[in-house]
Amino acid sequence: MGSGVWSTDVYDAADRYRRSTGKSAFAYSDSGARTVHPKLDPRGAVRESRDSAEHPESISIAVLFDVTGSMGHVPRVLQTKLPKLLGLLLRNGYARDPQILFGAIGDATCDRVPLQIGQFESDNRMDDDLSRIVLEGGGGGQMTESYELALYYMARHTELDCFTRRGRRGYLFVIGDELAYDRVKAREVRNVCGDDLSEDIPIRRIVSEVRRKFDTYYLLPRGASHAGNAKVLDFWRGLLGQNAIELDDPNAVCETIALAVGLGEAAIDLDAGLSDLAAAGSTVAASVSSALAPVERGGRVLSTWGLPTTLHGDDRISRL
Amino acid sequence: MNHVLVADLGYGDAGKGTVVDWLCAKGIDGRPVAAVVRYNGGGQAGHSVVLPDGRRHVFAQFGAGTLRGVHTHLSRFMVVDPLALVVEADHLADVGVPDALDRLTVEGDALLATPYHRAANRAREIARGAHRHGSCGKGVGEAMGYALAHPSDAPRVADAQAPGVLRAKLTLLRDRLVDELGPLDVPPIEATVHAFGAFAARVPIVSRAFLGNLLAVGPVVFEGAQGVLLDEWHGFHPYTTWSTTTFDNAETLLVEAGQAGNATRLGVLRVVTTRHGAGPLVTEDPGLPLTDPNNPTNRWQGRFRFGHFDAVAHRYAIEVCGGVDGIALTHLDIVSPALKFCDRYDWTDRLLPGPVGDLARQEALTRRLFSTRPRFSNGPVDWPSAVSAALDAPVVITSHGPTAEGKQVLRPNWAARAHPATAGGHPAR
Repeated sequence: MGSGVWSTDVYDAADRYRRSTGKSAFAYSDSGARTVHPKLDPRGAVRESRDSAEHPESISIAVLFDVTGSMGHVPRVLQTKLPKLLGLLLRNGYARDPQILFGAIGDATCDRVPLQIGQFESDNRMDDDLSRIVLEGGGGGQMTESYELALYYMARHTELDCFTRRGRRGYLFVIGDELAYDRVKAREVRNVCGDDLSEDIPIRRIVSEVRRKFDTYYLLPRGASHAGNAKVLDFWRGLLGQNAIELDDPNAVCETIALAVGLGEAAIDLDAGLSDLAAAGSTVAASVSSALAPVERGGRVLSTWGLPTTLHGDDRISRL
Repeated sequence: MNHVLVADLGYGDAGKGTVVDWLCAKGIDGRPVAAVVRYNGGGQAGHSVVLPDGRRHVFAQFGAGTLRGVHTHLSRFMVVDPLALVVEADHLADVGVPDALDRLTVEGDALLATPYHRAANRAREIARGAHRHGSCGKGVGEAMGYALAHPSDAPRVADAQAPGVLRAKLTLLRDRLVDELGPLDVPPIEATVHAFGAFAARVPIVSRAFLGNLLAVGPVVFEGAQGVLLDEWHGFHPYTTWSTTTFDNAETLLVEAGQAGNATRLGVLRVVTTRHGAGPLVTEDPGLPLTDPNNPTNRWQGRFRFGHFDAVAHRYAIEVCGGVDGIALTHLDIVSPALKFCDRYDWTDRLLPGPVGDLARQEALTRRLFSTRPRFSNGPVDWPSAVSAALDAPVVITSHGPTAEGKQVLRPNWAARAHPATAGGHPAR
């Protein structure tokens, strides 16, 4: 028995822990890759979140973030935080069988990798998807990214058992700092997803469609270059209302998502969630509190049975 | 849901690491392993894993599935050493796992191993002189002993989140040890509080309920440390470890999570019986032409000792840990005519387990083992069959080399346990 090859220098350990928080797991991107990893390629693919014997009540949670340059270091902060998301949800009992998908959003007009979408996973394979994401790092400087294309994909290319079998929406969190384009362009959909659309889809229509399937949030972290810009927040407030959330601290994004799910699942109220965070030694409770205070609501009761998977008419979100 | 409990049926070093790595690479019953749970011991473990491309890591606190990207959970039965943990994480980053700390959870009730325990451990072992116990000098046993003597004063993982509490506990610990042992070469309390605080800020510290959720995610491997023959109650006293090395802790965790008995018990053995450190090794043969690069001679345990396969000792191990469902037999690649097989001693073929806590009896057994002569037969042609027959337990996996590629499954459905899973399988929220 015994090896004991690892040093136990007390003076060195604190530094190592500190350094460990900034370490990159974007191995694929950092190795120089500039094309979408095959496992994240949205073309012709459907992402499924299914019930199983082990996970009889799956709840689908998608986390997509902007990986263009305007977000600065935020994607790397997210990368260190998001692997904890599943643990947070399970540990606190906020969701019984969470299945989590990670994805990345770029700009279809100028980026090589405008959309990257992983799989819904209920174990640590989701972290592998995270490590395969390519960081664009460019950004067009026009304060617009192809969020609408990502929303289109989530609306039309996902199959959620929580939704189709139990009438419960999944959760979609988009983390970014810019505006969406005003319409989903048929040409871009063809190039990126492989679908033939006869015409463009206005942004408001695709938002309505995706919100039918997903309880959808836009998180705008401070530290991103356009954060605090009223135009961006107003734009998303106009589309998502109070689900457009400004975050003081990008370090709080993981906890914010977990608590938003806990609130949505009616597993906790905001006070209980914040005390869970405090008990876990989290230092971001204040940021999470101010971010989520407007969102708190008494559970969510949905009746979506019998509605078509895809909406073609007017905004019918009010029926949900 | 079917979990797998892995324990070493010897004195350690049988190859638990490579077996856990293989389980995590291949999955269990066709499903990916959700996590590796450590259920005893601490930073003194040394579980070697080698990948086919030659990268290797000796796991101490992280689960041996980490190179496969599998989550590690340190249960409260572990003694957690935060200083060594981050150094191990850095080495894992060097071999291609940059985010090992992100795949880790630690139960808040687990004991902490501190520089003060470590210094006391070494001071005591040095004082034993020629009667060393084979301690690794890591302070794990010292932490266990202190917690038994002063349960409410023992530093625990959750204290790392509360600097005031931790500072008070560490000060009391240091002062008591210095009173007892004299001046110790230890760092100041503040430096330790600072380092442990950095640990708490980085690693998720979870409650007892976490494991129940983890067990619902998928099959979990419970990775034991050391070996059943070193068990604190059933080993050959005093050459034992302050740790329950049988399946008992793992079974306790399963019971608490509502998954009692929902696991296959896998014992690991190697074709030679080895021991690192002092204590009985009845079949020891210094003439065996073997070396183990993973176990160099060290100051605390001396040289690594080799003996022929000791079926009597392993039979005893199986009995004291309540039986196994299968055996993973390792190191078949070193089988040679030089290896012999001991199925009985000069006075018995069966060592009787004693009651838990009767250390005088265990000590008497130890004295007897020191003068025991093994009876050898030539090594078998068919090792798996010979081991199965001698131990009355099936060899289900064989290992013919250091990597996962060198494993063979002898019984395809070995992990499909006969007894039924507990109903529902999912703990209440």
